[in-house]
Amino acid sequence: MGKIFDWIDSRFGVKEPHKRFLQRPVPENINYSYCLGGMAFTYFLMLAFTGILLSIYYVPSEKEAFKSVVMITNEVTLGWLVRSLHKWSANLFIIFIILHTIRVFVYKAYRPPRDLNWMAGVFGFVTAMASGFTGYLLPWDQKAYWATEVGTSMFGTVPLIGDYLMYAVRGGLDINGTTLIRFYSLHILYLPVSMAVVLWAHFHMVKKQGIAKSL
Amino acid sequence: MKRRDFLKRAIKVFFSILAIAILSALVYIYPSKIKNRKLHYIYLMDEDELPRKGVRRVEFVYKLEDKIITNRVFVAANNDKLTAFSPVCTHLGCLVNWDNNKKEFLCPCHGGKYNMNGDVIAGPPPKPLTRLPLEIKDGKVYVGIKV
Repeated sequence: MGKIFDWIDSRFGVKEPHKRFLQRPVPENINYSYCLGGMAFTYFLMLAFTGILLSIYYVPSEKEAFKSVVMITNEVTLGWLVRSLHKWSANLFIIFIILHTIRVFVYKAYRPPRDLNWMAGVFGFVTAMASGFTGYLLPWDQKAYWATEVGTSMFGTVPLIGDYLMYAVRGGLDINGTTLIRFYSLHILYLPVSMAVVLWAHFHMVKKQGIAKSL
Repeated sequence: MKRRDFLKRAIKVFFSILAIAILSALVYIYPSKIKNRKLHYIYLMDEDELPRKGVRRVEFVYKLEDKIITNRVFVAANNDKLTAFSPVCTHLGCLVNWDNNKKEFLCPCHGGKYNMNGDVIAGPPPKPLTRLPLEIKDGKVYVGIKV
């Protein structure tokens, strides 16, 4: 590789430990459906990139959230593009996770020793869904409000601890500015960090166990 | 004490502190002010505006913690009996609408349907619509809601 990279690598040392992974043989007869997970990951990177751009203009407050979303869409240069990319990447992210899951299921790649990686994948899927749910409230329009009303009410149907769960998620009795900040915090901090940890574990196991042989 | 035993104990202490920290975090997340909603009677309309027969949607405005809130109820008159229904669907909390042609309350979210008495006739709602107390004093109608 280039001189600058070699200079850094002779001090940092990432090339050698990754050689085995990057130059490993892959089983025969694999096809493009093995790319679905990688495509989902690409959408995750896309979401992270557009997300940090959106966070520059978005205001997570009861009075200004909706206004700031309108401003991002109508006034900010390329704001409409960044917001649309975030929205569509979010949809495609979920779709590609599901397709990837179906691929793994069909190829029976969930069997030991890959069972733990299947579980990591489930955690990732739940985290992605939670990100979708919390992100849906952030535009703070009627659709967002009522979707969250319905979604958080479902927490209330859990036996015994339902009400406590619902109030904890809402940050009070009703959906208001407290809920918005809670969801914002979850959406941009807790969930992406959890996702990063889950994905690290997911890829680590792929690296250690290799790709399952095709049927 | 040997150094090894000391370190083993130190690890136990560390994880105990971690467990306490996580429990405190859960307590921290839980909202501190879950107030008890109290019943308030709020002016709805004058007595002569009450529906004789059928269902009327009535909007009303009140102030809560410096916020002006618009809310609505359905007042149903059936055989000289007057009932006020909360518009909140008992399934997952959306607001129902009155369909005057079909004579039923319809929830837009998951298709819950209630008849004029607030009883469920279709869809997922587990309970009839909540009835709210009405009070008529000096020709004015007040509705009791919990805020």
